[in-house]
Amino acid sequence: MNFDLTEEQQLLQQTVERFVTENYDLATRRKLVDSPQGYSDDNWSQMAELGWLALPFDEADGGFGGNQIDSMIVMEQFGRGLVVEPYFANIILGGGMLKRSSNQALKTALLPGVMSGEVRLTLAHAEEQSRFDLDDVVTTAQEDGDHYVLNGKKSMIPNAATATHIIVSARTSGGQQDKSGITLLLIDNDDLETSHFPTVDGGRASELTLKNLRVPAERMIGDYDLLAIAAHDAVLALSAEALGCMEVLYKSTVDYTQERVQFDHPLSDFQVLQHRMVDMFVEYEQCKSLLYRATLEAVQDAPTAMRTSHALKHLVGKSATFIGENAVQLHGGMGMTEELAIGHYFKRLLVIESQFGNTDYHLAQFAA
Amino acid sequence: MEIELSPDDLEFRQEVRDFLKDNTAKPGADYSQWRMDFFKNAAAKGGWDVPKWPVEFGGPGWSPTQHYIWEQETVTASLPWDMPFGIGMLAPILMNYGSKEQIDRFLPDIRERSVNWCQGYSEPGAGSDLASLKTKAVLSEDGTHYSVTGTKVWTTMAHMADWMFCLTRTDDTGIKQEGITFLLIPMKQDGIEVTPIITLGGAHSVNMVHITDVKVPVENRIGEEGKGWTYAKGLLQHERTGLAGISRSIVALENLKRQAQSVIRGNATLMDDPAFKSKVAELEVDLLAVEFTELRSLASAASGDDPGPESSILKLKGTEIQQRIQQLTVEAGGIYSAAWGVPVGHKFARSGMAGYLGGRANTIYGGASEVQKDVIAKNVLGLKRS
Repeated sequence: MNFDLTEEQQLLQQTVERFVTENYDLATRRKLVDSPQGYSDDNWSQMAELGWLALPFDEADGGFGGNQIDSMIVMEQFGRGLVVEPYFANIILGGGMLKRSSNQALKTALLPGVMSGEVRLTLAHAEEQSRFDLDDVVTTAQEDGDHYVLNGKKSMIPNAATATHIIVSARTSGGQQDKSGITLLLIDNDDLETSHFPTVDGGRASELTLKNLRVPAERMIGDYDLLAIAAHDAVLALSAEALGCMEVLYKSTVDYTQERVQFDHPLSDFQVLQHRMVDMFVEYEQCKSLLYRATLEAVQDAPTAMRTSHALKHLVGKSATFIGENAVQLHGGMGMTEELAIGHYFKRLLVIESQFGNTDYHLAQFAA
Repeated sequence: MEIELSPDDLEFRQEVRDFLKDNTAKPGADYSQWRMDFFKNAAAKGGWDVPKWPVEFGGPGWSPTQHYIWEQETVTASLPWDMPFGIGMLAPILMNYGSKEQIDRFLPDIRERSVNWCQGYSEPGAGSDLASLKTKAVLSEDGTHYSVTGTKVWTTMAHMADWMFCLTRTDDTGIKQEGITFLLIPMKQDGIEVTPIITLGGAHSVNMVHITDVKVPVENRIGEEGKGWTYAKGLLQHERTGLAGISRSIVALENLKRQAQSVIRGNATLMDDPAFKSKVAELEVDLLAVEFTELRSLASAASGDDPGPESSILKLKGTEIQQRIQQLTVEAGGIYSAAWGVPVGHKFARSGMAGYLGGRANTIYGGASEVQKDVIAKNVLGLKRS
């Protein structure tokens, strides 16, 4: 039994932590969020130079051969800094799928660019009727010789405006909610019918309309199973990011209540508030435990790994809401302002709660 | 015990419905003109423009049941924009503690909605503990005016206000509730600086107001020097009851159900999802109860009794219910609740997130929930803190 990070992992953690400390004060982040692109090219290049974009890829492919623990380390620190560079869309989602794809030609062609930061991927899986079900797909991919013809609409695609390629889930056969008959195709992001917009947490998302888009059959990268694995990785990564946010929130609240004096006492003197903060701390620690458990099970490819990830996303969603709402409440009016960091962490947590299945969804999956 | 509406009440309800129907904005009508006409026509009904004012000041003298009917009927109608600061907050203080001159000078403009007021209570160091406020008012040697200096915060609509009713400190030698003086200060003058505060939902409604050496004539003081706390305190209780928003929540819950029914899940809708459905049901249960808590409170007020424990429960429970409805609206919006500033996916998702974020303030302003519980513990249960 050992929960210590290896020396290499500790080094990674320290490097990411330093990057966040040096580059991510709230004012700098606000500038990035308000900029046309929504993130910094310099930061992105730095992430490539530091090897973070190559982290999860096999050494044979030129990567660092990292696993879900390494991704967890990076995402947790990104959560603490509210990093807006599209690491999740590119490396966790897109990169993770490409890495596991059996389409060797596509891997050879694209992976070097992914690791250098020039190829940027994202995943378009959601549709208006699908809510959180990955297998609910009405977008069609009709075979036509050596091409597929795509028709349909995809929703809330993260960072699609800056992506060079989009992985789209589409149906080649089967009914609306059949797992079989779902095909993943990688399409070039030129001349697509898209609308781009900001998200409440300072991120970017897009809607995509596909009208008779012809995609060569060699762009097929996998089927539903690959999508399910990507969603599993997504849950782990988002939960790690959420843990970073929750840590900042509970600690800031503990600090603030010791400074803020009302009724001639620091707020932290009031027992009811002490107990509330204890609850926040306990929730945070429980999430951390389950994150470790789910991540280690995923690394070991344990038979329970998927189910534990559902438990994790459920607990994280519930705890994130509790910690976020109470951080705002205990900061009083100050917690309601854009000026303080509290609200920004809270908003990120709210979005994480609904990404790749919300709290109720994952409990239902866990209990199923 | 009796909950049926009497024939008179039913007749009154019909009269309210007719009035609201006749005074709905016509398509293409000029908004400000319609707004002014609405209040003029309401006044012509005999004080319907100021339902809560006493008869001697022009109010309609409704029974609690009639107030309840009015609230029920108006919550679904689109009433013109109105602010509570003059009509609901300052007016009762003027009526109770203002001089004849002050009443004649300020009340008509308040009633006509021709002057906008804001409330200068909270300060950076005085939130839940309002009585620790520090904005200083120093009386001139000739006794003609006060010089006021200090900072007010969370001042709703200060950027649109003509006047502020303001709690100031004239004496800091005794206990802090004493030495507070209630002043009326014009906003449009040198020495008053209004800085916007942008809140979580991206909205600008609250402000920071810096007051620097502003001269306020003694004629603008309500009541006696040093008694401002007493005047404001009674009103706070009033404000709290008004913040419960029970009728609005009943309407909001019905909207939520409709919204959830518009979210299609396979052959069913989100309202058929057992987990979601049970959360909506729990809210309905709480609303059924709190609606009667409000009625009990109205009834004891009508019989002239002190407001019972019911009134203390209302703000606490009412705002909690508001937040739970807002939270479920965000949940119903699913992935689309994250989209910001543009309509994407479900139509209600866009305003859902903004409503939820803004609504986090509901358990903070007007006495935070934690303070409400202290009040109930002390005043209702008679508990002492160690």
